[in-house]
Amino acid sequence: MIEARDLHKEFKTAVVKEGRFSGLRTLFSREYRMKEAVRGISFQVERGEFVGYIGPNGAGKSTTIKMLTGILHPTSGEVSVGGYNPHRDRRKAVRQLGVVFGQRSQLWWDLPVKDSYDILAEMYGVTAAEKRQRLGRFAELLNLDEFWQTPVRKLSLGQRMRADIAAALLHDPELLFLDEPTIGLDVHAKVNIREFLRVLNRDFGKTILLTTHDMDDIEQLCGRVMVINHGTLTYDGSIPSLRETIGLPTRMTLKFRGPFQVPDNFAASASAGVFRILGVEGDTVRLEADRREIRAVDIIRELDGWGEIDDISMEEPEFEEVIRRFSSS
Amino acid sequence: MKAGSWFHLYRLLIKTSVRSRMQYKFNFILASVLAALIQISEFLMIAIVLYKFGAIQGWSLYEVGYLFAVMTLSKTVYRTFADEVHHLEKYLISGDFDQLLTRPIPVLLALMPQNFRIMLGEVLQGGFILCWSLAGMMRTGQVGWTAVPLTLMIILTGAVILFSIGLATATIGFWTTRIEELQNITEDAARTAAQYPLTLYPKWMSSVLLVVIPVGFVNYVPSLYILRDELGVWVLPAIAGVAALCLGGSLLFWRFGITKYQSTGS
Repeated sequence: MIEARDLHKEFKTAVVKEGRFSGLRTLFSREYRMKEAVRGISFQVERGEFVGYIGPNGAGKSTTIKMLTGILHPTSGEVSVGGYNPHRDRRKAVRQLGVVFGQRSQLWWDLPVKDSYDILAEMYGVTAAEKRQRLGRFAELLNLDEFWQTPVRKLSLGQRMRADIAAALLHDPELLFLDEPTIGLDVHAKVNIREFLRVLNRDFGKTILLTTHDMDDIEQLCGRVMVINHGTLTYDGSIPSLRETIGLPTRMTLKFRGPFQVPDNFAASASAGVFRILGVEGDTVRLEADRREIRAVDIIRELDGWGEIDDISMEEPEFEEVIRRFSSS
Repeated sequence: MKAGSWFHLYRLLIKTSVRSRMQYKFNFILASVLAALIQISEFLMIAIVLYKFGAIQGWSLYEVGYLFAVMTLSKTVYRTFADEVHHLEKYLISGDFDQLLTRPIPVLLALMPQNFRIMLGEVLQGGFILCWSLAGMMRTGQVGWTAVPLTLMIILTGAVILFSIGLATATIGFWTTRIEELQNITEDAARTAAQYPLTLYPKWMSSVLLVVIPVGFVNYVPSLYILRDELGVWVLPAIAGVAALCLGGSLLFWRFGITKYQSTGS
């Protein structure tokens, strides 16, 4: 569905002069600073996948999306979207794309939502019957009736996002690019949007590429995640294996019934190398372990020798933390 | 996209745009009246000068009014349909230009329907001065009825020329992002200058207004033939040729400019 081969993008900006007549001198200056936003990204996305594309601000996320959607021309490398090159055949390529930028609306600000749909339908050559049928399919899920006649400028952010997503689906694209679709939404609205995206992918078979800073979006929706940092792909795979790659410690809290004893020589024992005691308070012991090195069962077996275990709780590392570690490494 | 369906799209847009504009009825009426007043007072200034000192370099008040009105109406046609070309800077700075590139139609055709402007004030003022000038010249027998269709034609070719100048100027924004200052020169200053007969200016300047920024072809050159029977009838096809050339050139430049678009950070 999407194929990117060795994508590069360099931005050329004129070096800003200082001192007198700085504006004029900058204008005529031949000095440029090159900034490499994307350096050699390659990947493929198959039909029906739900891919999360994440990375810190300025990592090259948006630049990649813009190259895939034909907005920016890559400095070098090849893109193919649904069989077309979005730079040579922009119009054919974008016909199969639905694009939603969370930060800005594609609807007409002063017009009622319904009028925007009429204009878009005309633009994509969608007949009135097709339009009715497609919008009807999503009207209930997105609750479109609620703001059908309202001018876009009067919509709440949540409503606007729903209206925008419906607009992107009007020409029934196979592929959806969503750039931060949940940005700024309250929890309830986020859950709504996520549920809708899940339905789109699962029941309607749409291929979706999602960028977001909300790790819950990624964790709940995406079967695959790509991490970009400093313009290169640093990870491409499933979420569980991403966790594993990072090897963040799992936290465990064990509660003992009755007295227990931490062995005096624990610090020197072999076990101390694979799990670490964070603290002992009353009848509980908190520890952390790298699950690649030791299984939880083995830890419990070991601690069973210290006293009678009453209760155990385990905490997987937060996904947010996983990404943070990944991006800063 | 077929031309027919684009036209259909544009009509739909005009309809919806008029409807949305009417949400602010008072604002619309006030803006139209003010625009007409400003335009008319601008012309009155020239009229007073002419009245006091007689003709400008052999151009009568009617003739100057004609130049003025043709320029206003050409600009009005251009701005009515392609106001967003003039406001491209807004799209470049906000990054809203991205959105247009994701549409399966030529970018320019996606840009133009973003907004349709109703310029009632300019139409009223331009129309009024034009009728008055033509009527005056018909009374003295300077022009006949054939001047009417010819005038309509040059208003359209003029709109094409002004559009081309606007588009070429806007395209420079793909490199510089900011274009407002440049527009002041190529669009506003040049157009204002060409509201008067070009013979008024030094040679180098009238050459600039004919060759570099060809606003002279909007009203001055055609009126030499239509009003004063100078040059020859070949002027009319020549004007159409100049308009076509400007349009073709600016479209090519625009297409090249788009590939240099850098978008904004997000």
